[in-house]
Amino acid sequence: PGTIGDRFEKVGIENTEENRRLYRQMLFTNPVGPDYLSAAILDPETIFQKSDDGVLFPELLSKRGIVPGVKPHLKVYTLPGTAGETVMQGLDSLNVRCKEYYDAGARFAKWRSPLTIGKDGKISSLAIKTNMEDLARYALICQDEGLMPIVEPDISLEGDYDLETAIKVNVEVQAHLYKAMIDHGVYMEGATLKPNMVNPGKQCTTKYTADEIGQATVTALRRVMPAAMKGVNFLSGGQSLENAAARLNAINKAKGNSPWNLSFSWSQALQLPLLDLCKKNPKGSDLPLEEMAALLSDELKIAGAAARGEYTPKAGEGDHVFK
Amino acid sequence: ETYPPISSQQLKHKMSLGPYAAELVENARAIAAPGKGILAADESTGTIGKRFSAISVENIEENRRKYRQLLFQANGLEQNISGVILYEETLFQNTDDGTPFVDILKAKGILPGIKVDKGIKPLAGTNGECVTQGMDDLDARCAKYYAKGARFAKWRAVLHIKDCVGATPSQVAIDENAQTLARYASICQQNGLVPIVEPEVLMDGDFPIEVAAACTEKVIAACYKAMSDHHVMLEGSLLKPNMVRSGSDAAVQATAAQIGVATTRVLQHTVPCAVPGITFLSGGMSEEDASMSLNAVNCAPGPKPWSLTFSFGRALQQSVLQAWKGEDANVATAQAVLIARAAANGAAQQGKYTGGTGGDAANASTFVKGYVY
Repeated sequence: PGTIGDRFEKVGIENTEENRRLYRQMLFTNPVGPDYLSAAILDPETIFQKSDDGVLFPELLSKRGIVPGVKPHLKVYTLPGTAGETVMQGLDSLNVRCKEYYDAGARFAKWRSPLTIGKDGKISSLAIKTNMEDLARYALICQDEGLMPIVEPDISLEGDYDLETAIKVNVEVQAHLYKAMIDHGVYMEGATLKPNMVNPGKQCTTKYTADEIGQATVTALRRVMPAAMKGVNFLSGGQSLENAAARLNAINKAKGNSPWNLSFSWSQALQLPLLDLCKKNPKGSDLPLEEMAALLSDELKIAGAAARGEYTPKAGEGDHVFK
Repeated sequence: ETYPPISSQQLKHKMSLGPYAAELVENARAIAAPGKGILAADESTGTIGKRFSAISVENIEENRRKYRQLLFQANGLEQNISGVILYEETLFQNTDDGTPFVDILKAKGILPGIKVDKGIKPLAGTNGECVTQGMDDLDARCAKYYAKGARFAKWRAVLHIKDCVGATPSQVAIDENAQTLARYASICQQNGLVPIVEPEVLMDGDFPIEVAAACTEKVIAACYKAMSDHHVMLEGSLLKPNMVRSGSDAAVQATAAQIGVATTRVLQHTVPCAVPGITFLSGGMSEEDASMSLNAVNCAPGPKPWSLTFSFGRALQQSVLQAWKGEDANVATAQAVLIARAAANGAAQQGKYTGGTGGDAANASTFVKGYVY
């Protein structure tokens, strides 16, 4: 409710439970959803909400062939005495909550561990170690409760680090993650990855093409990700849909014989343009649901094409150019 | 479908790749070429002496030279052999007419490699565990070997399962050997040698295949974490692990098919795709078992993004030595045996070996309890 509330408020929509329900209903009932979506990640509140017809959302999604998942973590906590390093909270009661979500129809989970590259081009060892160990334990607990864990080490775009540094840091972080997962006894075939794409920092002044970003991302994964894990669903993390799609397409072009599916798990890239449609209406209006649904259908086609390496971006889309 | 070569943009990395990056990648891929593998002919003077004594051949330098000459001059060796690991003495030896061995190999397109470790030493306070020595002057030796023509190296770490509850190999043995292997790999790459990383979990013991799998997974995972920490460029490296199998004394012996599945599963959990090739050791298996197991590995289901091939010593040479017996008159016959065995393993690399090469002799175990290299 907090995050969606911020997004609603920015475009003049009242943050009520009914608006949240109507908005999610629109997302889940999109006519082309089943063609392009294999899964949907839900906030715990949404797991227990129903459609206008009284069907619980997890059931609605399952019936359409879209696997419902849940975000079972709590909020980020800043480690005292550090330069802003954080951990994601929520391990303590996780097994209990996972069981509740499984009983409500969820079949997978997602846990996001945000990390930031400092001015020295590094993430601290402490931040990496503690976050990756937590991800491993989360994954193990989920598997014990029947939820397939998506592990999400999310390295922020904030900073001026170059692409080579991004490759190096991504490999370092993920090397720690997979070692922790093996040490904890996580069933590797039953876990997937939701990483950032390997991008230069937002403030990096060097120009890079979408193809270079695609190759850098595949290079990084090949240096570290086990073949046993079946899939990667990249987060968008502030990239526009066009940039994210162009880069996902480039990633798939660079794939070679890499053994994982390379696809998307997008919130902002898909949803922010939908919310922007509200801006032209007076504050406090109803959600423009039909308009949103039409735009979402177009967006899903783009995302699906990029996931198959069949998207044709416009010139310059996906390139990194510092403005 | 193979992965495209490392791009020039990737080679511009500031991370310590050193001046040999492109060459290391090319050579690692050449060693891992389809249908090919490595002949491990790096037996130390002491070890080759044991082989020679079994066929009543005197362990003198001339005999060692003649034997290796036999191997390297075999016609068509390059069909299925992409690299040969040499012992230091051999790297500097020549054929009868004075041609350096490295030149013979290079002319055939076979990469010469060099064993750079100096054997094992005990880890005090452990249950008979060990570390491998040879680090101190490794940098200088690698440079010397590269100048002579070597293009890859090998370093063998030894781990031993002595119980079935996970107490051995101990964490210190695993961690110490993983760190040493990573450091060795880094030094090799700085000197233009593709490092073959060999963390051998011995087959000695009565453990079931499940224990071998858990242990091998732990060991290989530790190695790749250490290599990441030490900035080893995986695209220019190779792994030489044991296949995952039952202990030599286990009452129930896993089948080749089970070995194939157990082995690939461990690798799918631990070896990044950037590693172009995994070149298995034979570790005491008979020639035929080694080939059949390698075949089963290549036929196992699931992703296999690296080449899965052989780096056999005993399992390529046992019958050759028997055929040679030190006699010049037997050289051609012995070479034919080698070529046939190499072809069998080349077929196994492609998952096309159906068995039978070498007849009964190929079923003789090469296992020696408590084998010391």
